Amino acid sequence: MEIMDTATGSAALGAALDALEMRGGARRHGRIGLAPDASRRRYGDVRELIASPANATPLVRLNKVVAQAADAYLKLEWLNPFGSIKDRTARYLLEGMRQRGELQGRELVEATSGNTGIALAALAALEGIPLTVTIPSGVPAEKLVLLRMLGATVMATPDDLCPVDNPRDGAIALARAIAESPAHRGRYAMPNQYANPDNVRAHYETTGPEIWEQTEGVVRTFVAGYGTCGTITGVGRFLKERDRSIRVVAVEPQVGHRLPGLKNLQEARPPAILDRSVIDEVIRVPDDPAYAMTRRLFREEGLIVGPSTGAIVHAIAGLDAAAGLTVGVSPDGGQKYASFYADLAGAEARASGLIELRTEV
Amino acid sequence: MADMDTAADRAATDAGPSRGAKVQLDCKGLLCPLPVYRASQAISRLEPGDVLRIECTDPGSLADFPAFARQRSLTLLSATERDSVQVFELRKEADA
Repeated sequence: MEIMDTATGSAALGAALDALEMRGGARRHGRIGLAPDASRRRYGDVRELIASPANATPLVRLNKVVAQAADAYLKLEWLNPFGSIKDRTARYLLEGMRQRGELQGRELVEATSGNTGIALAALAALEGIPLTVTIPSGVPAEKLVLLRMLGATVMATPDDLCPVDNPRDGAIALARAIAESPAHRGRYAMPNQYANPDNVRAHYETTGPEIWEQTEGVVRTFVAGYGTCGTITGVGRFLKERDRSIRVVAVEPQVGHRLPGLKNLQEARPPAILDRSVIDEVIRVPDDPAYAMTRRLFREEGLIVGPSTGAIVHAIAGLDAAAGLTVGVSPDGGQKYASFYADLAGAEARASGLIELRTEV
Repeated sequence: MADMDTAADRAATDAGPSRGAKVQLDCKGLLCPLPVYRASQAISRLEPGDVLRIECTDPGSLADFPAFARQRSLTLLSATERDSVQVFELRKEADA
């Protein structure tokens, strides 16, 4: 009798579990495990959140800061898990190095204005790989803190590090020296996002196809900044292959700019991965209008963005009506720039009236 | 970057006459601008009057350290080269 009860009970339990399995396969992955299911936004690992055509970052329309007739969208790259477009780059850089066998027992060293470092640091931490990052001056304190929280060794590179070389590239030179110095006997591997084709491939295979799909092929103009030039080259190449007439616009900051992540290619060496043949036009944006537009994006669009987005949107706002459906990149969000924005609110910015230090009483 | 220091750093201290040098920096086998970076870090920990003795093997150092000394208000006491090793002695001044 007792045996029969148990048997009946087991059969009932089994049937119930089978039903559960049919509903979602919830039991397959261990006692309390739920199977990863992107349709429910349920992931097995934070890396699965890095954007790809199957999991694209959103396009959001600009409604106030551009002319009413304009049809412009921002691609919000800060909704990647580590907070910037560099999540894509870092994933491709590491995957490429692993495939080529360059990671075997080695540490990583990379020059970065912060975002690539943060994404690399998170991915490296997940895999137990030590990372050293060389950082140019002007990188906000928040990024340094995030890098250290993720366990990276941070080497701040002063502007005058290379007394007889190009000071704006000091961080790159330092990272290369660490990777290549004979005394280190190959202990360090350098992803080198400025010269690594995997940086371009990340955008050619993910960002570009996403923009094409999300705009249903209607995109007419694409705008991104000069930085490592991975985005402009990779997305530009993809879109040009789809439709040669799509206009690709690069945004370049002024000489001596203070726009982290962007590069003026007169003062910094053009990255090896830059392919100017996919770029139709370069728009130069000074710091002040970039900051002013950043503030407008916060206040009029509710978009908490980093300063490079302000530069990119300032360029978009100046495009003529022929631009058609325009997609700009918003490389990172504004949270990491709290101290940077607070600095802007200092004497210089107050004098120019860009950011008021005003307390409502 | 203490992890980059080598036994040669300590050996250099015993190696010979360094005219009152208090800090030795072995940058042999390090490419520019690492020697300047390490020197810059070491200088910030020195007291005025202290001397930093740096050994390098990257030929770029020959141009870098005189420029570095001017930039940072350091006195370049000597710059010598023997057996492809450049040796620089820099004194930290009160206003550096």
